[in-house]
Amino acid sequence: MYKTTMLTKDLVAASSKPLLLSILAGGESYGYEIIQKVRELSGGQIEWSDGMLYPVLHRLERDGLIDSEWKEVDTGRERKYYFISSDGRKALKTERRQWLAVHNSLCKLWKIKPVSA
Amino acid sequence: MAGRSQLPVQIMENQTRFSLNAAVESWRNELAAQPNLAPDDRRELETHLRDAIAGFQQRGLNDEESFWLARRRVGQPQQLGDEFVKADPAKASRERIFWMALGIIVFWELTQILTFAVGIALYYLFPSLHELYIKSGFWPTDAVVLIIGIALAGGWFAQSMKLMWFLKNRFHLVSLVVILALLLSLTQTEFARESFVLNGHHPSVVTWAWAPWLENVRYFLLVYLAHIVAPLIFLVLFFPAQNQKAPKRA
Repeated sequence: MYKTTMLTKDLVAASSKPLLLSILAGGESYGYEIIQKVRELSGGQIEWSDGMLYPVLHRLERDGLIDSEWKEVDTGRERKYYFISSDGRKALKTERRQWLAVHNSLCKLWKIKPVSA
Repeated sequence: MAGRSQLPVQIMENQTRFSLNAAVESWRNELAAQPNLAPDDRRELETHLRDAIAGFQQRGLNDEESFWLARRRVGQPQQLGDEFVKADPAKASRERIFWMALGIIVFWELTQILTFAVGIALYYLFPSLHELYIKSGFWPTDAVVLIIGIALAGGWFAQSMKLMWFLKNRFHLVSLVVILALLLSLTQTEFARESFVLNGHHPSVVTWAWAPWLENVRYFLLVYLAHIVAPLIFLVLFFPAQNQKAPKRA
């Protein structure tokens, strides 16, 4: 058995924006798929509550960083797809610089090899 | 005892008794009771629930297990409502104002149309009422309208679940308001003027003789605010709230 260390609430809130923008930068997606992807990427360490994802997505949409569209999928059902906007790509660049700055500072302190920005 | 041999049958009955569609339907109703969730939010959460159910089913769980796990994962309707408000408090109050304004305007317009219709009907059907009115000042229009209004409201409430298709499209609702406003202005001008010219009084105006100034205020409020200004404000302010913008891809 291994012990899963869950992210604190504050860290989940802060990291949701760069994670969502990065996922959508790789192609359009919908809520359920995004949650699965985050769970998979983090090896289960980042566990988003399903219902909380949508308010975050809607806020990003209101800020103009992402757009959404209802689309019919092959099963005849409809899903709301989200995709990144050009403002979102700019915001992602800034986020990336800031997160790497924090990451690299910690790496230096912990004597781990930093990542190049 | 025969109880032991009946047990497997009971278990099987329990399994077949669970209907996934019925469970999703009741979940949807629970969600619809949350005032803070817009129809679009609810629709999105429902697609999420269905995706989650399908995910659990693929892993070999039965309908009932899949439903309850998916439901747990999506979250309690009450909590969902709170989360959505936290994310956008202005949107929630905008939605609330929309429904309140719609309710008030439709109520005013309907009661006004009813008042004129009932007033004219009573006038022609029961000529003796006119004499009674001249003698006593009593005219039963308001009472009749109140009774009809209560009956309609009751009927509407009972049927509201079946009328949900109508609430899906905000454009339909605003169209309804505008049609009612037009209908109302027709009754105001044609029938009321004719009746006034012929009989010397407004078919609906009878009970306010003790305070003519109040009648003026009421008339101004109903005719100018309810019929013309309110639907216009309603159209301009609240209709664009729906997210209809064309998507632009990066």
